[in-house]
Amino acid sequence: MNFLNPFFLFGSALLAVPILIHLVRRERSEVVPFSSLMFLLKIPKRMIRQQMLKNLLLMALRLLLIALLVGTFARPYLMQSATPNAAQSGQGRGFVMLLDNSYSMRYGMNFDQLKSEALSRINALGGNDRMAIVGFNESATVLVNPTTDKGKLRAAVDGLEPSFSGTRFFEAFSIADRLLSQFGGLEKNLIMISDFQRTGWNRSSRENVIERDVKADMKFVGVEKSNNVGIDNVSVEATSFVRTYNGRIVARIHNYNPDKEVSVPVSLTINDREVAKKTVVVPASGTSLAEFAGGFDLDLGFAKGKIKILMDDPLPLDNEYLFGIERREKLNVLILDSGQPRQSFHLKTAFSATSDLPFSVKVGNASAVTVEELGSQDVVIFNDVPRLSDAVRDRMVQARKSGQGQLVVLGPKADLAWWGAVDGFPVKPVRKVDVATAERGKSVVYLTSYDRNHGIFKPFQGTSRLGLNTAQFRNYVELQLNPGAAAIGKFDNGQPALVESSAENRGMLVLASTLDNTWNDLPLKPSFVLFLHQSARYLTGYNAVKSWYTLGEGIPIIGALEGGVVRVVDPSGTQETLGELKSGEQRYYSPATPGFYELRVGRDSRLLAVNPPPSEGNLDKMLPEDLLASVQSTEAETRAAGSFTSDDKLEYARQQMGWWYLLIIALIAGVVELYIANSRTQSVRRIG
Amino acid sequence: MSSPIIDRPRNRFIDPKVLIRIQNMELLARTVVEGFVTGLHQSPYLGFSVDFAEYREYQPGDEIRRIDWNVYGRSDKLFVKLYEGETNTRVTLILDMSGSMNYGSTEVKKSDYAKMLASCLTYFAYHQRDAVGVTIFDEGVRANVPASRRTGQLHTLLHMIEKAEPSKGTEFKKPLNFLAETLNRRGIVILISDFYDDPANILAGLKVLKAKGNDIMTFHIMDDFELTFPFEDMAQFEDMETADKLHVIPEYLRTQYLNVIGNHIETLKKGMSAVQIDYTLMNTSKPLDAGLFSYLAARAHTV
Repeated sequence: MNFLNPFFLFGSALLAVPILIHLVRRERSEVVPFSSLMFLLKIPKRMIRQQMLKNLLLMALRLLLIALLVGTFARPYLMQSATPNAAQSGQGRGFVMLLDNSYSMRYGMNFDQLKSEALSRINALGGNDRMAIVGFNESATVLVNPTTDKGKLRAAVDGLEPSFSGTRFFEAFSIADRLLSQFGGLEKNLIMISDFQRTGWNRSSRENVIERDVKADMKFVGVEKSNNVGIDNVSVEATSFVRTYNGRIVARIHNYNPDKEVSVPVSLTINDREVAKKTVVVPASGTSLAEFAGGFDLDLGFAKGKIKILMDDPLPLDNEYLFGIERREKLNVLILDSGQPRQSFHLKTAFSATSDLPFSVKVGNASAVTVEELGSQDVVIFNDVPRLSDAVRDRMVQARKSGQGQLVVLGPKADLAWWGAVDGFPVKPVRKVDVATAERGKSVVYLTSYDRNHGIFKPFQGTSRLGLNTAQFRNYVELQLNPGAAAIGKFDNGQPALVESSAENRGMLVLASTLDNTWNDLPLKPSFVLFLHQSARYLTGYNAVKSWYTLGEGIPIIGALEGGVVRVVDPSGTQETLGELKSGEQRYYSPATPGFYELRVGRDSRLLAVNPPPSEGNLDKMLPEDLLASVQSTEAETRAAGSFTSDDKLEYARQQMGWWYLLIIALIAGVVELYIANSRTQSVRRIG
Repeated sequence: MSSPIIDRPRNRFIDPKVLIRIQNMELLARTVVEGFVTGLHQSPYLGFSVDFAEYREYQPGDEIRRIDWNVYGRSDKLFVKLYEGETNTRVTLILDMSGSMNYGSTEVKKSDYAKMLASCLTYFAYHQRDAVGVTIFDEGVRANVPASRRTGQLHTLLHMIEKAEPSKGTEFKKPLNFLAETLNRRGIVILISDFYDDPANILAGLKVLKAKGNDIMTFHIMDDFELTFPFEDMAQFEDMETADKLHVIPEYLRTQYLNVIGNHIETLKKGMSAVQIDYTLMNTSKPLDAGLFSYLAARAHTV
């Protein structure tokens, strides 16, 4: 029995009212002088008893009336199990067997043991018994749908191999619940064979997915104390802009043995060449860091790095950790200005503050730049240039189409009409505005509104210290956006501050104010350097690569500037085509095995290092019964919720008219109560 | 009882709650009776005139001075004049002053009401030139003044009634037997009581009196609460005669109590009616006049 509005049950406290009145009246008993008890004593006891019964009946009716009204408002309904629960004999039983083929099952002989346990359970099936087999690791897959064919079941077990993925029990239980529900009224059995890794259970995902009436057989295969040593993390700088790598590579070695410390020899290899080796002592159930200094040379492009534990243990896979290092040339940034002294001082300073920055910056006069020089740059910043020669302008348009990023800064010297006429220019500059004269009561405007999810502004999301909105803009150029262009930054008066060209014509940004501290004080703000670096990176499509990925993690693939087909070459050398990606389009790729992958997007190519999930090296187990208790409904929960969702309950309650019957009974009780009470009153007739 | 007086408006009668304030029984009786008689319009002294009533043929032994010689002169026959005074009777009031008469749901107790009724009847009867006597009883005869018309009798009786206070239990057998032995002349016996005794005992005693040729009138004095039992709360009821206590839940007992007391009244009424005893149930919340009417009717019947 459940209630749709259980809060109304508090109304049952009203039941106490008639009882209290009854008790209070009983308690008060004063002495009343009366002429004679002669007639009172003549009244037969039987009549008094009848009267008492009548009164008790009245009280009971009143209590019933209150209880019924409370019950009516609480809207009771009965839950019935969605499936018949009685196992019908002679129809066999239903089994779902969950087999753990996560990477941790590679430990020792665990997986062989799992197979043998699975086969013994298949052999024990009766002729009418039906079984489904589910293999699970990070995800769960139905290997065999419910069948009585033992041969098919055995074949599925024989063909099962351990994966390189992690463990997630919940997925397996969810699928098991779906399969078990197909068995209808049969006796339902759940078999789980696993090493019950604690890391496979996320406590927050606790949900009752297994019905109370399911019999569970939780078989543990594995070792009580693991003897495993593995690498669970490597910290490395993924990009180097210099030939000799001068970063540090740190590997965290984990000893999962709870009893004894181990001395672990570790080697670092780059492109299959051992460059360093050392031994670290790792305490029992602890971690130690193996730290390698740089100093090795890198060629341009990607280098395959590997840290390896040079000793054997029952789980060899986590003894290696792969990573990639990309050596890149610095980005060539050309700043063109109109030749005024210090016009590009702040810009140049921002790009060459330290030697570590991935920028190689050059400043030149726009009127003197050659077509060749312009074409060889990654990014060109036109810093308040009045106009360009026709040849340079044509090259500029052409270079952008072939991937060059361009930032046009419009200032007091810019010929607005000329720039507006440049092919593919995203805006039409209207006029130069002096805020003090153009706007009453205002001398400056602020860059307050910008697209925080845009690649340029993302670093500004989390901190107010780098806020762009503190810079004061005294002058700006009023811009009119061409179709497709987007204002990714705006002044507080709504005028565009930074405009990006359309997706088809990408590669150009137009800034409506200067970068030389004449029209604004932006160069004096801390956000200036970051803003410029981000803009340059964005314009070149530069993305810092990750040194390694973990199996199960989605690897983002972003379309190149001109788009192209995506191909992946896996560690075995097999090439797989993932389809075409448009420029800027993003897709995720999930590798299935650890190793080095080559990812080709259009003309770009990069190397991906993929490692098995490090958590799988931790073989600490949880008690199978605890795991089962976490997913199986308790008796009370089954009673309370049955197998109904909250919507089902509402629908069920609506369909059931229990409250209506209660209301009718309450009305009848009310009428009976009135009749009895009235008949009693009428009987007190006056004499004389 | 078919007198037109009954149809007169009731509001001219005095409420017992007002009468209770008059301490002097003589004054009280005069107030009631005079008021009552004044209301009788055309014939205020109907029934008890001292004037000529009828002629009767002379019989040997009659006083010669009562012979109406004028009639003899006209008819040559001897007739004797008879006067009302000679039709007077003896009225004996029996007043129950047992403990139960002390009950009253208002300021008018049953005993007060009974005393007022007794005073009025005494006064009434005395002024009809009846010989009046009063017997007060509870378990036994507490006081007895035989019927007489002597001077000062009225004052003695009214004083005795005034001083009577209820106490003890009720016993009908003893006082009624006593009266049966002492009343050696026929007359009117008026019994004023709440009749808290077995109807058989009461009727047995009354039948003896009736057998001796007396006209008997009974006034059953009951309080309104005794007749309606309107109690609500559970309480311990204490018997005013025996001081016994009884735990009572009125709502459980009310119906049965009313049935029992109804039966009691009905038994008395029927039992008395069977032997031509007048029975009048008097509610202490109602005016006294009903009692006086009953008396008048009985008096007329007797004479």
